[in-house]
Amino acid sequence: MRPAVHQTLALARRSIKDTFRFPQAWFPSYFFPLVLMAIFTASFGRSIGHIPGFPKVDGFLSFAMTGAIVQGVLISAVGAGGFFAGDIEHGFFDRLISSPTSRSAILVSRLVASMVLATMQAIFFMAVALAFGATIKGGVVGALVVIALAACLAIPIGGLGVLLALRTGSAEAVQGMFPLFFALMFFSSTFFPRETMTGWFRIVADINPISHLVEGMRAQVITGVDWQAAGVSLGIIAGLAVLTVGGSALSLRRRLEGN
Amino acid sequence: MSTSALSRTVSVSGMLAWRSLILVRRMPSVFIPSLVMPLFILVATSGAFHGIGAAIGDYSYLRFTIPFATVMGAGFAGINAGMTLARDIEGGFVDRLTSSPAPRISLVFGPLTAAAMRSVFTTTVVLVAGSIGGIYPPGVVGTIVVYLLAGGFAMATAGWSMGVALRARTVQAAPLMQLVVFLLVFTSVAYAPRDLQTGWLRQVSNWNPVTRILEASRAAEFSNLSWSYLWPAILSLAILLGVLGAFTLHGLARLGRE
Repeated sequence: MRPAVHQTLALARRSIKDTFRFPQAWFPSYFFPLVLMAIFTASFGRSIGHIPGFPKVDGFLSFAMTGAIVQGVLISAVGAGGFFAGDIEHGFFDRLISSPTSRSAILVSRLVASMVLATMQAIFFMAVALAFGATIKGGVVGALVVIALAACLAIPIGGLGVLLALRTGSAEAVQGMFPLFFALMFFSSTFFPRETMTGWFRIVADINPISHLVEGMRAQVITGVDWQAAGVSLGIIAGLAVLTVGGSALSLRRRLEGN
Repeated sequence: MSTSALSRTVSVSGMLAWRSLILVRRMPSVFIPSLVMPLFILVATSGAFHGIGAAIGDYSYLRFTIPFATVMGAGFAGINAGMTLARDIEGGFVDRLTSSPAPRISLVFGPLTAAAMRSVFTTTVVLVAGSIGGIYPPGVVGTIVVYLLAGGFAMATAGWSMGVALRARTVQAAPLMQLVVFLLVFTSVAYAPRDLQTGWLRQVSNWNPVTRILEASRAAEFSNLSWSYLWPAILSLAILLGVLGAFTLHGLARLGRE
């Protein structure tokens, strides 16, 4: 195996182990989406048949499942960015760059770890939702598409976490971005369909890429395998990845030049 | 308690409440989130779940959400009291105060009063934002009830947060203070009335004291307030204040003994 690949895998393994070593790193990314999914399902489950514009679904839990997955991936990626910032704060990053470690491995390993964690989260939320009566219209293929999209989503979001960590060097500053992500999710169709929104809120949700991203994933669950919708999600993920991963690569280079 | 001890307690508590309030100006970073979060809840919830209005009887979901935002804002005001106390314990201010002749109980009464007063700010911000959205405050009596319920809930959550602060003695315990308040509010009738709720949430919200507080505040907001809404809310607040007050006082009694 080439050294860079070996180093990437070793660093990714370290990131994943670190995440599970500290409950504060993984617990919020599982707990909050699960609690919100449960509360929204029990609050709105009976109403959806009476709401004009609400898509035909087997149950609110099926509708809410992908929202929980995206939420989990976002929270987890912020946490991963915080850990990377912690590595910078505590000097591990400096020790790493003074060793013969491949520079790209430093960045890619974080993204690989984020993808693995996102895959685990997607499977977990899907399993919980299915256990409580949700259905996936797209069947096994639909479920695999959702899991693959969740794993891919971890690349731009993980990239953003790394970018913020490299720019600020502060775990607190990276964690401080969490409310922004939370706001982005609420001002989108993550929790409720755009068709039921009105006025300026609808306009914001229409232009919020997270809306289209979630809808592409949700289509696999509530209508069946939809490659076009999946393509839209993937396109948004790719666009965001170019921005955030490209930005973090530039920031890494600047930091290395600074050192 | 003698008259002079009582007046000293009131005086020191008043000073501590004032100190807590002027921290709003000195450390806006501590207070601003407690103003922004209820606003965010109001806008995001009423916007995202606008469609639910049709299911609850063609009501404005913004009007339905205003009490949720005022109660949540009051919760943040209470959490702030706990965080301030935790910071004061870490910074040594509480040690200096307990070694002075100031009545120890003021350590609780001061922040409790400040929490109720801060809830006036958060409630006003929510009501003003509601007015901007076209939902005006519900008359004099209704508005007073909304403020009083928010103030009572701020004191209850301050009791919880200060109890945690007195035991943990570090501001690192803030997530625990927040988590419990969040769960208490979210598992009530925050998003939908009880007759629309299903399964476990219906059972939990039936027993959750915040449900009665929110229902009374909502009845005031919808101008159909009656005694049948008010007495369960008053009883729920009394229970919360009694239990969480005892939790705080027990923590205060342990302070300095260990």
